[in-house]
Amino acid sequence: MARGVMLMSGGIDSPVAIHYLLRQGHEVVAVHMDNRPFTDDSPLEKVVDHLALLRERYQQPIPLYLVPHGSTQTTLMRETDRHVGCVLCRRFMWRSAERIAEREGATFLATGEALGQVASQTLSNMRTATASVRLPIVRPLIGFDKQEIEAVAKEIGTYSISTRPGVCCQAVPDKPATRSNLIQILREEERVDVDQIVDDCVRRAVIL
Amino acid sequence: MSTPTGSGASGFVNSSHLLPPTGATFVYRKLRLCSNGGGIEAVPDGVLPLDLERIRILLVGRGIPVVDARVMLIVSLDPEVTISKAGRLLFKTPDHAAAKRAFDRLRGWVELPPLESG
Repeated sequence: MARGVMLMSGGIDSPVAIHYLLRQGHEVVAVHMDNRPFTDDSPLEKVVDHLALLRERYQQPIPLYLVPHGSTQTTLMRETDRHVGCVLCRRFMWRSAERIAEREGATFLATGEALGQVASQTLSNMRTATASVRLPIVRPLIGFDKQEIEAVAKEIGTYSISTRPGVCCQAVPDKPATRSNLIQILREEERVDVDQIVDDCVRRAVIL
Repeated sequence: MSTPTGSGASGFVNSSHLLPPTGATFVYRKLRLCSNGGGIEAVPDGVLPLDLERIRILLVGRGIPVVDARVMLIVSLDPEVTISKAGRLLFKTPDHAAAKRAFDRLRGWVELPPLESG
């Protein structure tokens, strides 16, 4: 079995995706990209509670890296085209996750994405976002619909945590792009210092 | 009720092409829970073009930390407030009274329109 790094948002999907990875016997390291001040404390609190529940259920340690991402969001909002902000945001999340995977000896990245649920999860945007990393990306929920994911979340007890009130991400543009192309995205990234941003985020990451 | 003039300490834009029609006035609709239930939002009755740079200068001048994300400001009040360029305010608390207090303070500092009455 392999060791993977899982992006956890506090939403419904990511704990369900971890559940499937753990059930198959994989080891998981969790990464939460901390979007404050573009959100409130609730996403982090939800992730902490999700992991407490999953650690108990599977008797696995599941380390959690908390990676500051708010300053990255600010830079992207100031310097790049808002329309593709979600794709750019995801690319930076993946880069941080990959760095942590290297540190943790993990051989894959994972996410709770399911095809077409939100703007960031169209096939076009997923492909563009993940072109920023080299490690394989595992999506245990890729073919699930929302009802199926929610049913499993209720069964494993994470649904009631995920659906607690919270402030949704304020960095999401009013009309996020549902299609993106890599040339355009790379052009946008030329406006910022990618390596410095990722270095800074990973350096400031803490393990909870 | 405030009228957008772009003068004095107002937070309205001073670029004429962004100003609403002459004599137009705005109010904020009643404070209400945001869609995810974790915050209270105030939405103007129309697109209220704010001069975020001017608002930022006014707030920083009062010693209030502000994150400037170009299309929005995040203001370190208690509770924290997001001010969008189109005038929407989001108070990061589900506590209506705390949001109202923050709204009143903010309104006094940057001359935002009032809440609708009733």
